[in-house]
Amino acid sequence: MHDPHDWRADVRARLASSGLHPQDEAELADEVGQHLEAQFAELAPKIGPVAAREQLLAELREQGFDEAASRRRRRARPSRARVWSSTSVLRDLRYGFRSLRRSPGTVAAGVAALALGIGLTTMMYSIIYGLLLKGLPFDDPSRIALIYRADPTGRGEEDLVPYGDYVRYRAEQRSFAVYGAYYTAMASISGGDRPERIDVARVTSGALDVTGARAALGRTFTSADNAPDAPPTVLLGYAIWRDRFARDSSVVGKPLRVNGRAYTIIGVMPDGFEFPRSQKMWLPVQLDAAGLAPGQGRPVNIVGRLRPGVELGNANAELAGLSRRLARENGDTAAVRDLAQPFVRALIPARVYSLLYAMLGAVFLVLLVACANVANLLLDRAANRSREIGIRVALGASRVAVIRQSLVESGILAGMAAIAGVALAQSGIVAFNRTMLAIQADTPFWADIRLHLPVLLFVIGVAVAASIVSGLLPALHSARVDVNTILKDESHSASSRRVGRLSRAIVVAEIALSSAMLLAAGFMTKSIVRMRMMDPHFTTNAIFTARITASSSTDTARARQLFEGLERDLASVSGVDGAVLANGLPGVEWQGGRVEVEGHVYARPQERPVTRTLAVSSGFFRTFGVSLLQGRGILSTDRAQTQRVVVINDAFARWQFAGVNPIGRRIRLGETPTDADWATVVGVIPTLYAGNSRNAWPPEVLTSLAQEPRLSSVSIALRGADGVANAATVRRIVSALDPEVPVYSIASMDELMFRAQWPVRVLGTMFVLFGVASLVLAAIGLYAVMAFSVSRRTREMGIRIALGATAGSVVGMICRQGAVQIALGMTVGFAVGALVVQAARAALFEVRPSDPWVFGASALAACLIPAFRATGVDPVIALRSE
Amino acid sequence: MLTDELKKGSAEFLLLSLLEAEPRHGYELQKLIESRSQGVLTFHVASLYPLLYRMEDRGWIAGKWVEKAGERRRRFYRLTAAGRAALEAQRDSWREFVTAINRVSGVRYA
Repeated sequence: MHDPHDWRADVRARLASSGLHPQDEAELADEVGQHLEAQFAELAPKIGPVAAREQLLAELREQGFDEAASRRRRRARPSRARVWSSTSVLRDLRYGFRSLRRSPGTVAAGVAALALGIGLTTMMYSIIYGLLLKGLPFDDPSRIALIYRADPTGRGEEDLVPYGDYVRYRAEQRSFAVYGAYYTAMASISGGDRPERIDVARVTSGALDVTGARAALGRTFTSADNAPDAPPTVLLGYAIWRDRFARDSSVVGKPLRVNGRAYTIIGVMPDGFEFPRSQKMWLPVQLDAAGLAPGQGRPVNIVGRLRPGVELGNANAELAGLSRRLARENGDTAAVRDLAQPFVRALIPARVYSLLYAMLGAVFLVLLVACANVANLLLDRAANRSREIGIRVALGASRVAVIRQSLVESGILAGMAAIAGVALAQSGIVAFNRTMLAIQADTPFWADIRLHLPVLLFVIGVAVAASIVSGLLPALHSARVDVNTILKDESHSASSRRVGRLSRAIVVAEIALSSAMLLAAGFMTKSIVRMRMMDPHFTTNAIFTARITASSSTDTARARQLFEGLERDLASVSGVDGAVLANGLPGVEWQGGRVEVEGHVYARPQERPVTRTLAVSSGFFRTFGVSLLQGRGILSTDRAQTQRVVVINDAFARWQFAGVNPIGRRIRLGETPTDADWATVVGVIPTLYAGNSRNAWPPEVLTSLAQEPRLSSVSIALRGADGVANAATVRRIVSALDPEVPVYSIASMDELMFRAQWPVRVLGTMFVLFGVASLVLAAIGLYAVMAFSVSRRTREMGIRIALGATAGSVVGMICRQGAVQIALGMTVGFAVGALVVQAARAALFEVRPSDPWVFGASALAACLIPAFRATGVDPVIALRSE
Repeated sequence: MLTDELKKGSAEFLLLSLLEAEPRHGYELQKLIESRSQGVLTFHVASLYPLLYRMEDRGWIAGKWVEKAGERRRRFYRLTAAGRAALEAQRDSWREFVTAINRVSGVRYA
């Protein structure tokens, strides 16, 4: 009677706790297993197989058998100390290097795959570490917190806190040892070569004290500088001191004209200090807090350094209590919630956080694909070497030693890959930093993206993890060998069956990982393509832009005179095909406000809709090549004294004037408009691209610059002529009109557009690169697995063909088996990929994270590539080799 | 029925006797004891193999893996010179023991 029961396995299980040497165990299992098998064959027909098996197993469990085990202990079991001694590890390393040298192909493929995975993860981690984790370059940066007003709508739009609230908090809070407020602004400095416009921060003395930074020269602010009537003082940043004052060490006490007023320089901050983000100079906050009730005053950012022993949680609890009390006193019914968060965490928008971590997740997927490839390579080796391993076990190698030998080999691969990966990451970091510099991305001053020590520790951790992930399966496989089976198994059929199951699982994992990446890359590709193909409905080509600010923000008549003179003089520059002055530029800057349409009734002022607005001079339409769908544009005859006019865009017309002719209708803009603000719609333009990540095609209202009452800064745009000459020409013209007016933010329109689109362009491109990397790795890995499984099954296929199967039907069978794996892997992969895409929303452009076309295209690619690779393996050719 | 004590004392003697004629493997030894004693004496793997290994350690018997074409290898035990001497000694003392019992109890063989 045939007994499928493996009695030897039962004996081995019975002996598990006796700790025999594997070969002793195998002999005992062989002898007693055979005995039981024979006994069962005899007993089963008499009392039935179930009862027979139970009886024999009960006999095997009897205590007397322990003596058999102890008497069979012929060979010493390798002791733990011997297994892990340094000489044995060294021997393993030497042996590992020697045996890897014999298969340079495996080594090269494995190292290349892992190096790519480790390199990309290292690069992404460097970016995250340098930007988000390292924190501010001050003492104990984790204790510096930023306090902001949470958005009551929960959309994550953070807001500033009114100065009146800050004053009360400062008086009553106990959580922070140092407390301060700041707000950022731009300021013009004049005198010397030429006027400049720079980023500054207005700070209370506490705001700089929070950082703990000392002035390199002179002093920082004291609370006396913050008094409303204090003489104006200014603290220079290193760059200004270097460029404008040529590192003059006697600069302290000298005057500097800021926004047309004389300030006294009190000190210079050290190189690299640009707190809070990228500010080049500091002025004191000089607000009068005396008459301010809570909820009133200029909105400010609050920073604090936590008192020793106080955690953020405590600070937030205290803050919640304080803000509730203020709201009650204020009679404010809206739920105001002020939150303290670690400074960097609060200053970097949540969507950037989520995008960067999505990218880190994506490169980990690439790394896992690489690990799967290496695991497959090692598994292939393990299958080919099962005889060798069988002999090693027979000669007394313990299972731990066999596992360790396998892990040492994957460790050697991962070690080499880590070195190559760090080199790869280094060049990636250099390229990333260069790109960020080239597009003048607004990176915060603390961002320091390079291979810091924690990044290198991260590399070591990743390499160790990668070697375990890729080495453990093959190692366990090797250790599970049954010495006798392996040594007798000439055809490798037993071992390859088991290897086959494992590598099929790896294939599914690999397909899952690469289709996740493929999906993410698909979304990014579509975003980038859409962005490149996008017609913004205005010209960006050969347009020079700059920004100027009138020397005094209060003297509006003088500013108006300046702007009118400028408009006239710019238009007459030779080679200029169009010139415009506007309070912003299309496509890159977002300004908006509430709008009221005549005839509509709004229950509360807050219910009036918000629209984008842009005040332009008459040259706008010619300069930017904007056509008119209806009516007329803003003309040079639309002056302050004439009837107020607006031009609306198509989106606005559909939104507010659906089904009616908007021409002649009236709207008014502003927070508290008066009757004088009613403006007549005179024209409709196409909807212009607005460069806003939330809504790229918003409703928009163009007004006449000449009819804007208060303007101190304007953008200028010139079409035609070349950029460098324009910069000098514009400077000369401006200087002739007012020598104190700075010309700044000089850039071509194309540059500005690219800068505004950099998350999609740069990060999206990186995503696509990750996707391509994982696809290439997966394609290589899948080919190897398919080729391996086909070659392992040549005997089976030979039999099938001998029995009448055609070569075609054998190929079909293999492909069908592959299809199941592909379908399974893809389903899992797309679920993971959808999560990655969701987290990386900030890099999407006009593609919804659920876009079915992208899913379809990715599915097709995820199917076709493995199928193509699999059919590339010809079983008939594989057969001939047998 | 034979008591365990008696069985234990006689087991080594029986195995040595069975191996005297030719080398045998464990299963064969169990079957022979069972059939020749007509089921009075039985062994389990848990009692047979400790005994065999003990005797092998003592040098009375020697085990050897024998592989025949088309069959799995089997471990055969043969009697060694020391085992043969032990068997003779046990036979003598058993004979003396039986004689003594007979004299005392008056049991006679039919």
